[in-house]
Amino acid sequence: MGHSDAASPAPAPAARDARKKRGNRTAAKLKQSKLETRRGQWLNNSGQGNDGKDAKVAATPTGARSNAGSPILASPHPPLPRRRVDSRSRGSDPEDREEAGATGLEIGGSDLDSPMHSPGSDKSQGSGCGAQRKGFSGNGHGPSPSSGSSVWSSSRSVSDAEEDTGCPEDENEVLDDWEAAADALYDDDSHCHHSSVPTTPPPAPTTAPPANAAGPETIRSKARAWAPDDKFRPQSLPSISKQASFPASIGNSWAGMGMTAAQQGILSLPVSCPICYEDLDPTDSSFLPCPCGFHLCLFCHKRILEADGRCPGCRKQYNTASAVEEGGGGAKETTVGTGRQMANIAPVRLFRSCSMGPRY
Amino acid sequence: MARGENQEAQTGNVPAAAPGPKPASAGAGKGAEGQSVVRRLQSELMALMMGGDPGVSAFPEGDNIFNWVGTIAGSAGTAYEGTSYRLALAFTAEYPYKPPKVRFDTPCFHPNVDAHGNICLDILQDKWSSAYDVRTILLSIQSLLGEPNNDSPLNTQAAALWANQEEFRKMVEKLYKPAA
Repeated sequence: MGHSDAASPAPAPAARDARKKRGNRTAAKLKQSKLETRRGQWLNNSGQGNDGKDAKVAATPTGARSNAGSPILASPHPPLPRRRVDSRSRGSDPEDREEAGATGLEIGGSDLDSPMHSPGSDKSQGSGCGAQRKGFSGNGHGPSPSSGSSVWSSSRSVSDAEEDTGCPEDENEVLDDWEAAADALYDDDSHCHHSSVPTTPPPAPTTAPPANAAGPETIRSKARAWAPDDKFRPQSLPSISKQASFPASIGNSWAGMGMTAAQQGILSLPVSCPICYEDLDPTDSSFLPCPCGFHLCLFCHKRILEADGRCPGCRKQYNTASAVEEGGGGAKETTVGTGRQMANIAPVRLFRSCSMGPRY
Repeated sequence: MARGENQEAQTGNVPAAAPGPKPASAGAGKGAEGQSVVRRLQSELMALMMGGDPGVSAFPEGDNIFNWVGTIAGSAGTAYEGTSYRLALAFTAEYPYKPPKVRFDTPCFHPNVDAHGNICLDILQDKWSSAYDVRTILLSIQSLLGEPNNDSPLNTQAAALWANQEEFRKMVEKLYKPAA
């Protein structure tokens, strides 16, 4: 279905698109009815079977996957008037719209597969995207690597733009923008892949104003581009990992009592410092000042060294403990060494410490 | 809550539990440090409320998160079975690097608890570890009730009587004045 050229973002013939769209809609209806039962099935399969199939598909020299992917994303390309009708009919029901988008995605993702395995909702979209990404990365070795990657990224931008559309009135505009956004992203990606700082998109050869084109794209890069340790990440953003890990970290700190717990500390790395309950950054996580395996952040370690210098996990002196274990290296030297090792993360640490105020 | 107010007035009179300037203000003076203590105490409070340990509970007293009231129940099979004791925990801005001051509010007849409710427990002094928290403190005190250290008693009478559990139990019940 839809084996149009991925490399050429030209609009597909209208007739075929119409057929495709109808197919999409019926498929969506069918999907809706069996969605719940299939989702579990798909989630189970996506782990093993689906990925394997994806990899296989991606290995085919035709780059069929990227081709399959493009029409959906390119489905906004078709003659706009008709599309608008569609969108208006869907516009009233955001869920329907969402589903339509998901269906489109799914067709791209799995029409070479069994449709049963496709993500039916945007909840499972994440894993679906993961599978897709896998396919595309494999495709990168195919005949048209650049087209493959661009299709992938544009597909994401489209689906995101769809999610971002707040009110149905904006739908048409956004639909127009899809094309522009995809094109902009295409150009963007070919230059710098997923730069976290949104650059001004090159002029898109479409009717949509470039400013609009920049809109959804900028939002999306801001919404998703921040890795937890990204140094450009605004501090005001809530840390999801922190919230999610909160009970676990408490559990770890409880388990961190005594000798047996010290061992547990090795097995299950705490995500927050058991002393101050701040998140452990990568430097902290790889910082093991005591052979008992008790994890803590560098701030707390320094503070304890200034006091009695005993490991909270085993109550042994840090200096002697690390001297025995690491052949004379004092705990302080260990600290410095670790810091230097993780020099690439240093900016993050600095940022963090600034945000936490004068703690040392 | 008349109980809570009563409690507050009580601790206010005892210098050991509540040092003159409120620990909160001491923490506020140190800015970020006090903030991190508050954060840790809030996290502990949440964990305690979610954890639901049997026989052990604690909650900040009034608006001051640096002063907590803890409750421990006497473990079954000990002379303290069926009793419940209230404790006052006073945290400093140096918590958890320094232990909180913990004191029995409910009179407790125990070899390691003196007449003022002061507790002789190593982890509250030299054996303190910053990895301890309110929950582990209370659990330690709960187990101390059933397993006193009679070698360094604060209450020599209780230490002497420990050998006779029947008599000891009678003394525990006689001196037990549960909080109103």
